[in-house]
Amino acid sequence: MSMEDYDYLFKIVLIGNAGVGKTCLVRRFTQGLFPPGQGATIGVDFMIKTVEIKGEKVKLQIWDTAGQERFRSITQSYYRSANALILTYDITCEESFRCLPEWLREIEQYASNKVVTVLVGNKIDLAEKREVSRQKAEEFAETQSMHYLETSAKESDNVEKLFLDLACELISEAKQNMLLNNVASPLPGEGKTISYLNCCSFN
Amino acid sequence: MECSALLDHHVGTGVCGCCGALRPRYKRLVDNIFPEDPEDGLVKANMEKLTFYALSAPEKLDRIGAYLSERLSRDVARHRYGYVCIAMEALDQLLMACHCQSINLFVESFLKMVRKLLEADKPSLQILGTNSFVKFANIEEDTPSYHRSYDFFVSRFSEMCRSNFEDPDIRTKIRMAGIKGLQGVVRKTVNDELQANIWDPQHMDKIVPSLLFNLQQGEGTDSRSPSPLQSSEKEKESPAELTERCFRELLGRAAYGNIKNAVKPVLMHLDNHSLWEGKSFAVRCFKIIMYSIQSQHSHLVIQQLLGHLDANSKNSAIVRAGIVEVLSEAAVIAASGSVGPTVLEVFNTLLRQLRLSIDYELTGSYDSCLTTGSKIIKEHEERQFQEAIIKTIGSFANTLPVYQRSEVMLFIIGKIPVPGIHPTLSSANSGFEGSRMIQVMLLKSLLQVTSGFQTTNMLTALPSSFLDPLLSVTLMEDAEIRLLVLEILVSLIDRHDNRPKFSSISIISDISFLKLKVEKCSRQDNLFMKKHSQQLYRHIFLSCKEENSSHPHFEILYTLLALISMELANEEVVVDLIRLALALQDLAIANEESLPIYNRCAIHALSAAYLNLISQLTAVPAFCQHIHEVIETRKKEAPYMLPEDVFIEKPRVPKSLDRLEGSMLFLQSKISEVLGGSGYNADRLTTPYIPQFTDEDRLSKRKSIGETISLQVEVESRNSPEKEEKTPAEEITFETLKKAIIDSVGMEEQERERRRQVVEKFQKAPFEEIAAHCGERATLLQKKLNQIFEITIRPPPSPSGTITAGYGQTQSRSVPVYEMKFPDLCVY
Repeated sequence: MSMEDYDYLFKIVLIGNAGVGKTCLVRRFTQGLFPPGQGATIGVDFMIKTVEIKGEKVKLQIWDTAGQERFRSITQSYYRSANALILTYDITCEESFRCLPEWLREIEQYASNKVVTVLVGNKIDLAEKREVSRQKAEEFAETQSMHYLETSAKESDNVEKLFLDLACELISEAKQNMLLNNVASPLPGEGKTISYLNCCSFN
Repeated sequence: MECSALLDHHVGTGVCGCCGALRPRYKRLVDNIFPEDPEDGLVKANMEKLTFYALSAPEKLDRIGAYLSERLSRDVARHRYGYVCIAMEALDQLLMACHCQSINLFVESFLKMVRKLLEADKPSLQILGTNSFVKFANIEEDTPSYHRSYDFFVSRFSEMCRSNFEDPDIRTKIRMAGIKGLQGVVRKTVNDELQANIWDPQHMDKIVPSLLFNLQQGEGTDSRSPSPLQSSEKEKESPAELTERCFRELLGRAAYGNIKNAVKPVLMHLDNHSLWEGKSFAVRCFKIIMYSIQSQHSHLVIQQLLGHLDANSKNSAIVRAGIVEVLSEAAVIAASGSVGPTVLEVFNTLLRQLRLSIDYELTGSYDSCLTTGSKIIKEHEERQFQEAIIKTIGSFANTLPVYQRSEVMLFIIGKIPVPGIHPTLSSANSGFEGSRMIQVMLLKSLLQVTSGFQTTNMLTALPSSFLDPLLSVTLMEDAEIRLLVLEILVSLIDRHDNRPKFSSISIISDISFLKLKVEKCSRQDNLFMKKHSQQLYRHIFLSCKEENSSHPHFEILYTLLALISMELANEEVVVDLIRLALALQDLAIANEESLPIYNRCAIHALSAAYLNLISQLTAVPAFCQHIHEVIETRKKEAPYMLPEDVFIEKPRVPKSLDRLEGSMLFLQSKISEVLGGSGYNADRLTTPYIPQFTDEDRLSKRKSIGETISLQVEVESRNSPEKEEKTPAEEITFETLKKAIIDSVGMEEQERERRRQVVEKFQKAPFEEIAAHCGERATLLQKKLNQIFEITIRPPPSPSGTITAGYGQTQSRSVPVYEMKFPDLCVY
């Protein structure tokens, strides 16, 4: 039994306008519940979920941020270390879609350039109130070369898929990185190798 | 990595073997500390054995740690929280027991466990983990470590500070834990140069806003009644108090280069949560900052605030006012250190903001191009902002030493648009009203700077370059501006806090009640008066002549006269001041300016009040007697000539002032006589005072002396510069003057040259000779001069053709001012 109980650790940060359902997505995924009347997040929220993909244990560290403008400065500070960003909007709210370019600018500015971004249209259970067509969103995602997915935290549609697909992609990217660098540096910045310690301590 | 994995694998099979006896010793020791039933708690005796083993074989520490951590992870996963607590307790004890050098081996697995606990979604585990971390943080390690990363801890603790947990009690606990955790991270990393720099923006941007959030939450709950639940808790401290302590500790450790990163998130937080408007929280934050940081860094905070003010110059006035308010509070705290090396930069920024605000108020928008979607400017908010700036200028100035203050005074006066002395600085669109407002605001700022200003050396503190523009005639026309100038003079001259004693104008029957503080006039003061007294007298005299003077003006004039007599008077000055008071009386009687009756009464009252004061100061009994008699007569027959009847809400003023009897007036002859009897040089009183229009020291300090001898009168119009005029006094007639005015321009250069020669000549001659020479002619001169003044003081029909376009503006509103060079020694 290894001392680490995971093979990979990824940090995922959810961003998007206030009230699009970021917290609900996270809760649905990590706890399997849909909290009715979820209050606004203050600053950031933190959840952990370990999943197994093709026999490898992947720990997902999920940072759920507040959408409100006034918390922007603290949420921005969490982008930097993220491996993936889930950019969320509400398909029943045109406004939340129109703000996407602004969010992309933020990502550009604060996140690492290797970050994987997924666009998520949430609340598809409210199809009758839809304001943003699927096609429009797909086109937008295409231009920004992002993946696009529509979800419902309430009905649990596509929520698992969202996180698992993301995990798969992150794993393959991590493996590629490892091949490229050849140096066994585990992606999560936390468990650094002994060899690193040795070589540094004599400097 | 691979190495440890191999080892772990190997060990793993060992565990599976279930053969206790074959297990390594450290594993057995660790296993033994766990009781059968987690309720029983740590098995103390076995813990001691483990500790002893760890101490005697420190090389085994990392394995012990790894094994403990493995057990803990398993227990967490299986929800056996009792064992989790025991494992943590054991870890804590081991950490405490071990020597510093060996801790290093152990720390990594320890941190892994803490992380594990923090990742759990049970609040109790999070708190448990935090507590252990805090204990660890308090251990001082002497060996630096290279491989630790506190990234996760910073992120997680910051997040815990903002916990949203439903149960308010547990929420408070989690938040407290978060704060303590942050405190721990800071303690652990701040002194270790090898570790992740906690001062990097990426960390500070998380830590600081989280702390502020709790600080702010505290404000909310404090105002509500403290809930009984919280008070019954064991922790006496509220999250807000704890936060404040933590925040102070953080700031206290900040070095020069880190201040900026620590303060920036504060500014951001206040921006984002619109907390400048409310002021109180922002002020509180910065009070904490200013009191906590090392004092030699405080100017950095001030600079950042100033920068932030600049960055917000297009924001609403309330926000700007909030920032300025914070600045002013911070300046007071930082005291001498607040301004730092760039004194003038601070004032420049404040003055620039003041100016911008005036522009906004006048133009009604933040941007003439209207790019940012014009917001509506609220005039009263801009006004409040301006007041706040002025107050802030005052609090900064109060922290400065005297020499820097006079520098700042000069700087401010340099910014006042004074036509003729400084080029008009106001922007093209603000026009007259704009420059008036700027004058008012800058004078108010100046007043703030001068209040409490006490210099021992007036001469260096108030150079001509300061006094000239301040006393310039253009600052005299507007009633409000005139009052401000007088206020400034008063606060400059008052160095012994005598001012409050003269704040209202009245006849004081016995001045000993005032308990005045008087020091003997120093040599520098004497020199100052020699140089500038005529300017001051003139200013007082002309101020009285202004038609729009009202009660406060006369009051402050009285204060000014009184303070000059207290602070700067030698015998000569006393005589001059008496002469001035008499001249004021004459001014009111003669009424050449056709002043309103009220003003004439007020001037009478002013001179009465002042003569009453000066007579008692000189303590010449006969002088006092005379003044007393006149005042008594006035009390009976003309109370409207005394302050008690004039300076009240509804002054009782007669319809005309024509029938004044001699006994109601102060007599120059009488005063000369009594003063002369007491050894004063009363001869000067025989020559009535006439204000001199000196264009102070443009060519030479002693120009006026030179002119005394040659008996010249110089007429100059300030608004048509370089137009100067002079003719030997003996030759002056109406005709020559008239002629001179018309074709003066050509003569100008020639005249100046001639004057320079005269000046040189008389600078070399001994003073006595010059004085004796001119004394004889003084009477003759005076008569002639009186005639001339009648002619010249009135505005001539045409100022001359030399007015340039640039001055047209000022010309249109002000009567051209004629400055006359009149020798101050003519009275000898």
